[in-house]
Amino acid sequence: MEKGEIRVCILRVGGTNCDAETKRAFTELGVEAEVYHINQIAKRGILQESEALVIPGGFSYGDYVRAGAILAKGLLTKLGDDLERFIEEGKPVLGICNGFQVLVEAGLLPGFDGVGSRPEAALTTNIPVGYRCRWVYLKHENRGNCIFTSKVPRDVTLRIPVAHAEGRFIFPEGKEQEYLERLYENDQLVFRYCDEDGRYAEGRYPTNPNGSFHDIAGICNPEGTVFGLMPHPERAYYGWQLPDWTRRGSPPKYGDGRLIFESMIDYLTRKF
Amino acid sequence: MEYIARVEVSLKPGHSDPEGETTKNSLKELNYPVREVRVSKVYRIILEASSAEEAEALVEEMCQRLLANPVKDDYTFKVEEKI
Amino acid sequence: MSRRLYLRKSVPFSLLEVNLLEADNGDLARISREMGLALNLREMRRVKEYFSKVGRNPTDVELQTIGQTWSEHCYHKTFKGTIRTSDGREVRSLLKTYIVKATEEIDAPWCVSVFEDNAGIIHFDGDYAVAVKVETHNHPSAIEPFGGAATGVGGVIRDVLGVWADPIACTDVLGFGPLDYDFEKLPPGVKHPKYIFRGVVAGIGHYGNNMGIPTVNGAIYFDESYTGNVVVYCGCVGILPVKNYVKNAKPGDVIVLAGGRTGRDGIHGVTFASLELTEESETVSRPAVQIANPIEEEKLKRAIIAVRDLGLGTSITDLGGGGLSSAVGETAHRFGCGAYVDLEKVPLKYPGIAPWEIYISESQERMLLTVRENDLEKVLEVFREEDVEATPIGRLTADGRLELRYRGYVVADLDIEFLFSPPPVERTARWVRPRLSEPSFPEPEDLTSDLLKILASPNVASKESVVRTYDHEVKGNTVLKPFCGRYDGPSDAAVLKPLDGSWKGLVISCGMNPRYGKIDPYWMAASAIDEAIRNNTAVGGRRISLLDNFVWGNPEKPDRLGSLLRACEACYRFAKGFGTPFISGKDSLYNESPLGPVTPTLLITAVGVIPDIRRTVSMDLKESGSILYLVGATYPELGGSEYYRLKGFIGRSVPKVRIKEAAETVRAVVKAIDSGYVKACHDLSEGGLGVAAAEMAFSGGLGLEINLSKVEASGGLSRSDFVLFSESNSRFLIEVPEKVKDEFEALMKGLRFSPIGRVKAEGWLSIYGLNGSRVVDVSIKDLRDAWRSTFGG
Repeated sequence: MEKGEIRVCILRVGGTNCDAETKRAFTELGVEAEVYHINQIAKRGILQESEALVIPGGFSYGDYVRAGAILAKGLLTKLGDDLERFIEEGKPVLGICNGFQVLVEAGLLPGFDGVGSRPEAALTTNIPVGYRCRWVYLKHENRGNCIFTSKVPRDVTLRIPVAHAEGRFIFPEGKEQEYLERLYENDQLVFRYCDEDGRYAEGRYPTNPNGSFHDIAGICNPEGTVFGLMPHPERAYYGWQLPDWTRRGSPPKYGDGRLIFESMIDYLTRKF
Repeated sequence: MEYIARVEVSLKPGHSDPEGETTKNSLKELNYPVREVRVSKVYRIILEASSAEEAEALVEEMCQRLLANPVKDDYTFKVEEKI
Repeated sequence: MSRRLYLRKSVPFSLLEVNLLEADNGDLARISREMGLALNLREMRRVKEYFSKVGRNPTDVELQTIGQTWSEHCYHKTFKGTIRTSDGREVRSLLKTYIVKATEEIDAPWCVSVFEDNAGIIHFDGDYAVAVKVETHNHPSAIEPFGGAATGVGGVIRDVLGVWADPIACTDVLGFGPLDYDFEKLPPGVKHPKYIFRGVVAGIGHYGNNMGIPTVNGAIYFDESYTGNVVVYCGCVGILPVKNYVKNAKPGDVIVLAGGRTGRDGIHGVTFASLELTEESETVSRPAVQIANPIEEEKLKRAIIAVRDLGLGTSITDLGGGGLSSAVGETAHRFGCGAYVDLEKVPLKYPGIAPWEIYISESQERMLLTVRENDLEKVLEVFREEDVEATPIGRLTADGRLELRYRGYVVADLDIEFLFSPPPVERTARWVRPRLSEPSFPEPEDLTSDLLKILASPNVASKESVVRTYDHEVKGNTVLKPFCGRYDGPSDAAVLKPLDGSWKGLVISCGMNPRYGKIDPYWMAASAIDEAIRNNTAVGGRRISLLDNFVWGNPEKPDRLGSLLRACEACYRFAKGFGTPFISGKDSLYNESPLGPVTPTLLITAVGVIPDIRRTVSMDLKESGSILYLVGATYPELGGSEYYRLKGFIGRSVPKVRIKEAAETVRAVVKAIDSGYVKACHDLSEGGLGVAAAEMAFSGGLGLEINLSKVEASGGLSRSDFVLFSESNSRFLIEVPEKVKDEFEALMKGLRFSPIGRVKAEGWLSIYGLNGSRVVDVSIKDLRDAWRSTFGG
């Protein structure tokens, strides 16, 4: 389909707060993006009319109980069947920061056995503890399965900021190796924290900003169409958002984050 | 009938608890002989059910569906009739 | 409580008649104290006089309403009152005589609404204006640091919403006692600075982060006097289309209360802020602390912006200090209306709250709107869609009276004019210049270790471990962040790009020099203004507006008021001299604790613009081979400096501002930036040339070679340590490429400036003293490590 025909649904609830800049990232690419409250999406069947769903960053429902947990259940109960069909049709679902937490809590990521209802991983309290806003480097690990990084060559290092208190990705104790192997087998691993030169953080702070297992920053489902990441690509969209662009005299046009949105739109124009 | 459930959700043993660790260090700074601190969350839920068994079953379900993430959390609860 | 003074009315709820008509002076003082009114005898007698004329006793609701409206926090009695000085002068209203006067005389075309609304509004770009407000939340933060600071942020965000602006950035400037303060020395009722520090920082982060408003600028200061009086300044900037700045309420409009429910939170917060903290405060005042719910405010914000965009409101104000009593009264007063409110309609958190409590409760996350009858249903629908409670609670009337009802009974009936004419306060001011002398100590041969110590001192050291707990990137519009350069140097100001369709940027900076105030509050104020302006200028800001926020001790004591007067005098003179109008301000007085008064503290916030954000200059050195210029003259001004503090002195040679030179310097630096000659620019403040040069070097990962004998020095500066650490105002360090040297110098013609060194590829700082010998010799890694050692990264 043509770019102009693509409709991106950006979901929000009370506490969502990165919707405006996420919407801007899409409209800048020439697609139609609209922010909808989850109640509107459910009531008006917005999902059936959309080609992509994005859960932006924020503190959905205050992140009470656990980060993303309440919205995750809301997603399953309010949009359940529609969402399942949406994903089965191969329509992309992107979760950024709190959105990633939601997708994990909803069992959509890593989603080893399809759309499960029980989480198989968790994004939990940072080590060292606390909210932290800083720029990190990400190594692209995906071998081609993830539709959100098709425009990012493998092994390339991207620079995108994080801002969260609960971003430490973990698997159930005792299953770490088994699950990790499955991530690799299914080509679900997308981003790992690394340093400027592309060397893995190996858990070292602040290169790995939250103590994530295996330096994991972002993963996709086995089909590559549901993707969650802790860093905020919408905050690394323009060159003037970079933390040290003033060293160059004038900012570059774009930042690395834009590649993720471009890849997603590219997939939609080709597939549908 | 009304029941009161007291649910405690805590990190599974072995899972690192950065919040507890930070609190421990802070308490030690204040010169308390603290060995370990683990943080858990307590919910006090008042619910309606026809029997204590039903109330317990409902609370069990709440824990599994929302209050705990089985990847990292354990939970215990106690249900009492509200007087 | 005496039955003679308080009579229970025979109504089916709690309502007292207060026997004012038969009260003598002793009774009046007692009533004020027992009801927590914080009104003095003169004010109580004025109230009695009013009710004598009316011919009846007041209800508790009426007295509480008057107490709130006349409180220092709501009415700013000191700034509006008359001051007699010890040398026989009489100043009628500090606010009008100094602050507003500067603004009126400057008459800047960009001012849209100043000193009349919840926030100052200035033109930004095209059809857009920005609204700015800075508040203090000291007393609540002293009692409950997390909640106090969080509600401080929530409150100032509502101030900005209260002029129909969409909040886009927060600023926070904090003052704490020394973190290593001896526990044993703490008097009862005063919490340890470390506890307060942790709570305040967490509270600020919690609210701003949860609401998704970036915290882009701020500062943290430490001072012994902040131990008993924590200082918490919360600022917010918002943006609005000028045409949406609607204020046209009229009689008949419906009063709508929106947001959170009302509970007993913060009852007597206002009068509590107007009293000194005492030992009892901890137990007595705890109910004065409010509970914060940023998610509720986030929803409230969305609904209000939607109402604004649909053009459905006729006025709006926030509920802050004094709760409904302030919001309703001020709205009616402002539009020359009366108002009636049915208190029974106010949604409550729990039953059993007395009418007076409902009316003055400071429950958070509430806003008051007026809407035309015809639009009411549409407005309520907007709030419903956002899942926010909104309730019509009354109406504006034409009769100039405030009438409150509860369950069908009239519980208050006051003349609005009376309510807004408290007896003017008259106070005495006497400032006595402290007896201080200039210290005498030998000049060290090597200054490296002193430089490292100053970099690590709490007021200079990196606050990165705090700043990174605040989201400064959310909304994706932060162009220049708190940290810049290759190695996270301290930015002079924040730059935002608020509009998608425009390259124009908003520049936010601040200035504060509490140590100078210990010598002379006049030069402290002058220095704070100069610092805020030069921080703004250093990144490319111009067309600057200022906000003044005073934190002082008890103004009823002549010496505190004397120093306040001096600071205000400087505010007028230097704002006028720079052509930078004040657009908003606030005072927090009565900051006294068992440990004594707060050191007089003036925060100046500067808001400028940059025509194209792609011209923004950061402070990190960019290229080896560049020339480093010091623009502005250096004087022997080390009074209150970091260097003297390190040596254990205060001194008396406080930095001054030579306004003509200062204003010319600022203009020339802006021109040089616009001409593209400036690779890096950094202001000189605490720690002077030494600290500024070190910060520029390690932020850029480049070295510097500096020769102090090249510095434009005045006033008999003959020691290398004084040249290196003098804190003279109006100075900039500027990196200029060799190839535009002549052009740059031509622009600076007529100013005091000189090339003092060169940027080196090797990461080393070498500084040569006045006699040519090397006085600083250190790697930039050691400098950066020292700077980051105190609070961590």
